Amino acid sequence: MDNFQKKFLDEASDLVSQLEQALLTLEQDMGNPELVDSIFRIMHSLKGGGGMFGFDNISNYTHRLENMYDLVRQKKLKVTREMLDITFESADHISSMLNDDGSKTEEIKKNEEILNSRIEAILDGDSMSVVTVGDSVEVKPGLASYYVKVKPYEHIQRNGTNPLLLIDELVGLGRAKVNIFYSNIPDFESLVFDDTYIWWEVILATESDIDAIKDVFIFVEDDCEIVIKKLADGDVFSFDGIEPLLQCSHDFPFDLEKITSLANTIQALEKAKTETAQAAAAKEDKGDEHIKKFAKESTISGIRVASEKIDSLMNLVSELITTQAGLNLYADRAKNAELTRIAEGLENISRQLRDTAFSITLIPIDYLVVRFRRLVRDLSREVGKEIEFEARGAEVELDKSLIEGISEPLMHILRNSVDHGIETAAERKAAGKSPTGKITLSAYYSGSQVIIAVTDDGQGMNPEKIRRKAIEKGLVAPDAQMSDKEAIDLIFMPGFSTSEKVTNISGRGVGMDVVKRKVSDIRGTVSVSSELGEGTTITISLPLTLSIIDGMLVRIADVDYIIPLSVIDTIFAVEHEKIVSSFQNVINIEGVQYPFYYLRDEFAIPGDAPEREEIIMVKYEDRKIGIVVDNITGEYQAVLKPLGKLYRNQDIFSGASILGDGTVALVLDTHKVINQFTRYNDL
Amino acid sequence: MEQETTGSYISFVLGEEYFAINVAQVLNILQLVQITKVPTAPDYMKGVINLRGTVLPIIDIRMKFGMEPIEYKRDTVILVLNVEIDGEIVNAGILVDAVKEVFEIQSADILPPPGIGSKYKSKFIEGIFKMNDEKFVMLLDIDKVFSTDELVMMKDTTESPESKQAETIE
Repeated sequence: MDNFQKKFLDEASDLVSQLEQALLTLEQDMGNPELVDSIFRIMHSLKGGGGMFGFDNISNYTHRLENMYDLVRQKKLKVTREMLDITFESADHISSMLNDDGSKTEEIKKNEEILNSRIEAILDGDSMSVVTVGDSVEVKPGLASYYVKVKPYEHIQRNGTNPLLLIDELVGLGRAKVNIFYSNIPDFESLVFDDTYIWWEVILATESDIDAIKDVFIFVEDDCEIVIKKLADGDVFSFDGIEPLLQCSHDFPFDLEKITSLANTIQALEKAKTETAQAAAAKEDKGDEHIKKFAKESTISGIRVASEKIDSLMNLVSELITTQAGLNLYADRAKNAELTRIAEGLENISRQLRDTAFSITLIPIDYLVVRFRRLVRDLSREVGKEIEFEARGAEVELDKSLIEGISEPLMHILRNSVDHGIETAAERKAAGKSPTGKITLSAYYSGSQVIIAVTDDGQGMNPEKIRRKAIEKGLVAPDAQMSDKEAIDLIFMPGFSTSEKVTNISGRGVGMDVVKRKVSDIRGTVSVSSELGEGTTITISLPLTLSIIDGMLVRIADVDYIIPLSVIDTIFAVEHEKIVSSFQNVINIEGVQYPFYYLRDEFAIPGDAPEREEIIMVKYEDRKIGIVVDNITGEYQAVLKPLGKLYRNQDIFSGASILGDGTVALVLDTHKVINQFTRYNDL
Repeated sequence: MEQETTGSYISFVLGEEYFAINVAQVLNILQLVQITKVPTAPDYMKGVINLRGTVLPIIDIRMKFGMEPIEYKRDTVILVLNVEIDGEIVNAGILVDAVKEVFEIQSADILPPPGIGSKYKSKFIEGIFKMNDEKFVMLLDIDKVFSTDELVMMKDTTESPESKQAETIE
């Protein structure tokens, strides 16, 4: 497979997911013309690309779908459930065609036949209404007249293109007059038999829009000169007095000026009949719309970049930041105002560069939500439940690698919710709930964490049932005492699955223990809370593994530490005496009691503490907890470097960073610091 | 002669004893720089240093071997190694008292590690080589040293070799 084909495959799978997204939205808002338009555009790109890169099967198939949506666009067809179903399945079908390695060709073919016949059924079933619509409307809304000049370059036939077929196709779009120009044909001696010398002008009145006309030439753009001009709205052939202007005479071009001026006069007369103000407003709207449409199509909203390039960009930015820190330090010491000014200016830029570069590596969760929406939709149909899926905070962004890592666990959680969580409509009615179940996925930032929660309003978990099951499976001792919360947490134990019957959806042997493991693989944690009869919430919290963070540089003895700014709430100076005399590691500051951790003790750092120390209040869940350090150096943007495998047990440090003077500072993960030392101190 | 393979080794000193590591695993020799201690880590893990922009963990190999820690001196150097831990290549530095020399050994000249009676567990020793000056050099299998939390030495014996022999029978 060549490079272009690979690129097309990449692009095509993007398009398919865009298609799914558009379909899901369309399902909520059937008949929204913008969505129909965008679906049409996606089909169109798939068709064009498929044809261009030799994926004829895709091109042929999407052509049919495109036809269907074209009819919808022209308001000849209404969007129906069946149509959406077909398109959803088509999206799958296209994906399988894209991924086909030849092993499933037969299967795909069969599937395609079925889908085709369903598309045909829709097209046939509605052909009646097409006729009636056509009859009832006098001037068809999309009807317009165009001038098209087709002047093939001499070599066009060598590529196997027969220009006459193009003209045929063009004429097929509506009512047309064709003018032929022979004047370029050379003497017989110098004539090359497979060169093309003839060119054409076409006046075309059609309901298809200008895009459809352009499509005729989509694959020969480089092989001929194409001019497409809109002459007038409406059918010029129906205008009085236009007949002589449309006489075809070889080698005499159409007098476009006269045609347009005549068309304009006629239209102006017609327009005068209607209210002028209304007409003007309509015209303005139309102009705007065209501009918008054009702008939409001509701006490139994004480009694809290989992830290695992004990685190397990030590495370079990291090095820049480290070098920057060195420069700052030097400028500080040099006490040269000019140098300080330059260093500060440069720092400003590198900070912005860092933020921009970093944002490139982030992907909004929305990227996953489309898939999840589809999953919930398909699964709920499969099990015959009515479920609404809502996603909140889909704009929350996560590192690419985290997105990859979180997808499977979330999918599993959603499966569980659909399968076990939400009851059937009948059960829900009996319980006095709305028959439609609801699953909500919400994502938000919390300090240096991203929280993703999946909530359902289903039957909830029965701690008693879970306890029994766990005892049955020998996971806990029969006489074990545990709270309801502890019982529910048993679902994370390996070998636990409450599903009474193994279904296709969940209970396939992988349980919540796998979810837990996968989440902890990407340094996240997962927790569950459930209310019997009310529903279940599964919460995943993930670290924002930023490779560069804004931090506060602090010192204990002769070692520098960095605390991410995002977790810091406030900082107080305290007397060492006050810390020594505190009881149970709780300190009273401005009338509020704060628990705190004295890092000198926790880290077993020898030596005397300074008289005045700093207590940094960090956010921990919904509380503020103090962390005591010797002193604070200042803000610092830290390039996070891994501490490496040898320090894998020291996970209270999320990494290290190299300071401007070349020494190493350790980056504290305050969450883990608190968790770890709480075990011993029992906060 | 033709069938024999030669290997280059670099020798270093810990206390009175000579050790050697295959040069293929040695990336660099650094002078002692300031080491940032990582709290809560085992004592033999001295901390991390900045090695040209990357963070390099430093191991006090004396302590890892269960020897008495000593004050670092002018000769103390860091050998930067690449070691394989659980199938992953990791860079790490070890602190040694002093580096001696690089020498070549014919594979035939490598003696098998001693069994019973040795001060060090034989699985950490690739073999033993007798230098020209009659000194014995222990060729370390450094990957194994890094892959374990065990102490490398059978017992913390800095006393006379006579008493050691009696104690270390398994």
